[in-house]
Order: sequence, then structure tokens, then C-alpha cells
Amino acid sequence: MNAVENTCVTEDLGGYALVRVGGEVDLSWSQKVRDAILAALRGGDVGVELSRVAYIDSSGIAALVEGFQTARGKGRRFALIAASKPVLAVLQLARLDKVFVLFADVEAARAG
Amino acid sequence: MNTLTRPLESLGRATVHAFAGVGYAAALLGESLYFAVFGWRIGQPLRLRAVLEQMRQIGVDALAIVTLLALTIGVMLGIQFIAALSEFGAQSQVVVAVAKSVTREFGALITAILVAGRSGSALAARIGSMSVSQEVDALATMGIEPVRYLAAPALIAMLVMLPVLTILADAVAILGAALYSSPALNVTPAAYISQTLSLLSAGDVWQGIAKSAVFAVLITLIGVSTGFSVAGGAEGVGRATTRAVVLSICWIIVVDMIFSFFLNR
Amino acid sequence: MTSASAPLIDVTKLEAWYGRRRILNGVDFAVNAGEIRVIMGGSGSGKSTLLRHLLGLHKPRSGTVRLLGVDIARASERELLAVRRQIGVSFQGGALLTSLSVGDNVALPLREHTNLDEATIRIMSRLKLEVVNLGGFQDLMPAQLSGGMVKRAALARAIAMDPKLLFFDEPSAGLDPVVSAELDELILRLRDALRMTIVVVTHELESAFKIADSITVLDQGDILMTGTVDAVRHCDNERIQDLLNRRPREIQVDADAYLKRLTEEAA
Repeated sequence: MNAVENTCVTEDLGGYALVRVGGEVDLSWSQKVRDAILAALRGGDVGVELSRVAYIDSSGIAALVEGFQTARGKGRRFALIAASKPVLAVLQLARLDKVFVLFADVEAARAG
Repeated sequence: MNTLTRPLESLGRATVHAFAGVGYAAALLGESLYFAVFGWRIGQPLRLRAVLEQMRQIGVDALAIVTLLALTIGVMLGIQFIAALSEFGAQSQVVVAVAKSVTREFGALITAILVAGRSGSALAARIGSMSVSQEVDALATMGIEPVRYLAAPALIAMLVMLPVLTILADAVAILGAALYSSPALNVTPAAYISQTLSLLSAGDVWQGIAKSAVFAVLITLIGVSTGFSVAGGAEGVGRATTRAVVLSICWIIVVDMIFSFFLNR
Repeated sequence: MTSASAPLIDVTKLEAWYGRRRILNGVDFAVNAGEIRVIMGGSGSGKSTLLRHLLGLHKPRSGTVRLLGVDIARASERELLAVRRQIGVSFQGGALLTSLSVGDNVALPLREHTNLDEATIRIMSRLKLEVVNLGGFQDLMPAQLSGGMVKRAALARAIAMDPKLLFFDEPSAGLDPVVSAELDELILRLRDALRMTIVVVTHELESAFKIADSITVLDQGDILMTGTVDAVRHCDNERIQDLLNRRPREIQVDADAYLKRLTEEAA
């Protein structure tokens, strides 16, 4: 049933960390996503790429929220990139789509 | 036929209920201890915070009233023993009479009755109102075993605090007796107490503590089981509370008698 | 654990008794993933009893109840716990723990069942309060909430663990029409966004027709029918039409049984 495997990798695009998340983000491994995002924020601006997320639960959303809040505390930019439909649906449910900075692709996010 | 069988029938039904009640309480005891020991292995851990909270409610909050009551009982025993023993010219035996009766009997009994009235009823009322408002069902459907969450912490807290309160009651009651009777016996309170200590054996104190542990189990199980079996709204909660106190005190006194019989043969 | 096509809830030949009265007469009931199923019926129809069996609060006298593929009457503690972590229940009266604040109530399942970081738990539970429009109310005690707020807080607690399966007992009972319409809306959004399968027990026709994918009509312990909203609306079963049109039911009198009820000592 899992079309996409659960992945979470951080790419360094020269001072801009891109965390690529894919699969079904749920309680069982969302702490890994959280740790990856918080680790990436130690370097600089962070974008989280979510185009291949088939499902995200609230622990996954919590990881994004915590990342966003931490970034604001440090004066860093934090953006969600290419959020998939399931991600958008959950964000809209909690009206978080009006809180996060959303971009369609990496270039737009880096240009900010 | 009806006039003949009806009392029999109701007696039979009452007996069945009584046995069912005892069986249920035994199952509760088993489950509570099981969760306390093995709960963490099956994802139902006993929370230290819950135990500490119960210990505060059962023990710490009862300190003042236990002290006051124990002091009164001590003075009362002093009065009675001096009056009774002076008739035989055996006033000197007051110290040993007070010491043994307090440590073996009254310390544990008074404390247990007090705690049954305070905490046994509170347990029944709390769990009863939770049953009525479906909070117990909600816990169960959340995968939080109600026995683990509500009964086990109370049982552990009671098993710790009732003996502690009993030791306190022993000490305070003897102090009360010392304050009242030392003038009548022409000794200082300090001399009275040191005489008490030399007369008491560890067995006397242990007897009271062992009883208090049994009372702790009784009070908790009766409070919790009447609470869980509440039906019929707010009125049912009120009835359960009363029932818990009356049942606890009856059981405490009966069990105390049985214990005393076997321990003092 | 289960294949995608197997129903999330599968009840077969469920019988329930209350004393000597039979409440459910061998009920078959199945709900598929992603569905919003409404169980409808008047009072005394057995719908609450069915719900209590679905939740595992009663053991069936006979028949089986399978949730997420697990026979809950025969499951081990561990299996049952695994199932319960994946279901959420919003009770009719809310059933919030009165000794805990609203926020702690919502966080309770997370604290008990996960090892998540406290910061994550805080965000998750407050997020759920935002979803039910109770943002910022986490420090209030349940006693300080109005009826509608209690219901919404209970819903927030029910979805705290992102359950696969959500049960909702009488969402609109005792609420004003606007609040209950909002709750209906919320139920639909929850299914769409969080992919929940939702079972709603209600006697409110309007709300049932609005949210249901399919409706099961229960009457005196029997399932009269299970079908789509349209199928139920246009069904020609007399009892269902009575329910839909709020007609008082025709009570059939069995003279023998009636006399027996009136005269016998132990009826």
C-alpha cells in the first residue's frame, strides 16, 4: 500500500538546508522528522519539502510547528515547500496554512 | 409457598451478592497488585505521580486530625485505666496497660476508622461519580485500564500511609496518656515515656502495623469496588459513599477482632 | 495487519441481553475504511448497546465483534491495547476527567501511550483544540465549559492520537442548531483531512442525512436496513418511514403477554 517509502533526508544546498520528507508521517517515526528539522535549523535557513508525503498525522505537524517556532526564535527562515494535498488538508483543518510560509518549489523558497 | 420461600430467597440472594462482592474485591486486589508490579511491561505503568498525590490526600492531609484524635484517645485511656486499676491498688500497671492497648489495638483501629471515613468515602465518591459520568468508560476506551489508573495508586498509597499514620497515632496516644496520668502516678512525663519504651516489645508495635496494612487493603478495596459498581446517578453516588464507610468500618472491627484473637492466644 | 479491503468494523450475529431482556437480536454490522456510518434509531432501539459492544465495554453474549481485524472479546491485553490506541471515542456527555484541565485531558492519551517529547505533546494537544475551535482554552477545567464546548473538547481528546476509527455518541444532543451544524461540518473535515473512519450514533435525522455515507437503522434490537442516505429516505419500510416522519409507532398488543405482564409477580 505504501507507494513511497518513509524517508527523511537533509540536503545542504550551500547555506540552505532542505529536508526532504516522504511517505506516511505518523507517530511511529515522526520524532525522526522532528530531530532532522531541529538539527537542520542549527545551520541556517531551512525548507521542508513535502511533495511526496502521502499522509501526515498531528505528531508530524507538531514537528513542523516546533521547527517553525524555533526558526523564528533564531531569526531564520523556515518554509514548507510543495506541500502535497494530504499535508495541505491537515494544515487547513487546523488553519495552519495561514501560519506557515508555503512555497511551490525550492527555488522560490530560497529566493524567499 | 411464597411467605415461606421469600425470606429464604432474599437471604440466598443476599448471600450470592455478598460472595460476588468479595470475589470482585479479590479480583480488584489481584489486578491492582498486578498492574503495580508488571503494569509497565504491558503498557499500563503505575504512575509515581498518581501514587504521591494519593499519599498526600490519604496521609498528609489526615495528619492533623489523626494527631488530635490519638491525643484524645490517649488521655481517655489514661483516665479509664487510672480509675479502673486504682480500685485494685494497681495504679502502677497503668503504663503497661496503656502501652499495650494503644500499640496493639487502638492506634491501628482509630486510624483505620478515621481514614475509612475520610479516604474510603472519598475513593467511593470519586470513582462513583466517574462511573456515572462515563469517565471510567472513557478511560477504558482510551486504553487506560481504570483499575490501573484509579485503584492501584490508591492501594499502594494506602498501604504506605496507613501504617505510617498508625505509628504516629501510637506515639501521640502514649504522649497523651503520659501527660494526663504522670501527675496521678507521681512521675514526670519523661519518666512515664521511658518506662513505656522499656515495657514495649517490638512485637506489640508490629501487631498494630500488621493490622493497619490489612485495614489499608480493606478500606481501598471497599471504597474502590463500591465506587466502580455505582449505578443510578447522583443518588447512587451518595448511597455508595455511605455504604463504603459503613462496610469498611464493620470489616475493620470484625477483622481486628479476629486478628486479636489469633495473635494473643 | 488487515488488508485494505477488509472492513474496519465487522460484527457478526451479535446478541446482547440486559437481564432477561434481549436488546440485540443477532446483529450483523460492517463498516469499511474511510466511511462515515450513522447508526440511527429511536430510544430503546439498542443503538447505545451496540455502541458499547463496539467499544469493548460489554462482552457479547454470543456473536463476535472485530475491530481492525481483532476479535475484541478474545484478544489478549496487548492486542486490545493496540486496537484501543487506534480508536477514539467522544461520549455523549463528554466524559472529560473533571480533575484534569482541558489541555491535560486532551494530552492524556498521548502522555499514557507515547514517549513523545513533552513539547511535541503540548503542540499536538493544543493543535487538536484549535481544530475544534477551542484554541487557548487548555487551562480551563471541564466544569468551566459550556455544553457545546465540553462536546468539542471531548472530540479533541478523541482525536488526540490521530485514531483510524472515531466513534461519536450523539454529537448534537443538547446543543443548539448552530453548534451542532458546526460539529457536523467538523466530522466531515476530519474524515477528509485525517482519513478517519467515523461511526456516529444519533437520533437526529438532519445531522444524520448531512454527514452519513451510509446509515444503519436499528429498531428494537434488529437492523431494519443499511444503505445510503437516499436509499434510507426512499425506503418503503413502515417503521423507517415512522422514524423519518416522527410518527408515533403503532404498538401491537398481544393479549396473553399483556395480561401476563400486568398480573404475574415475577414478570
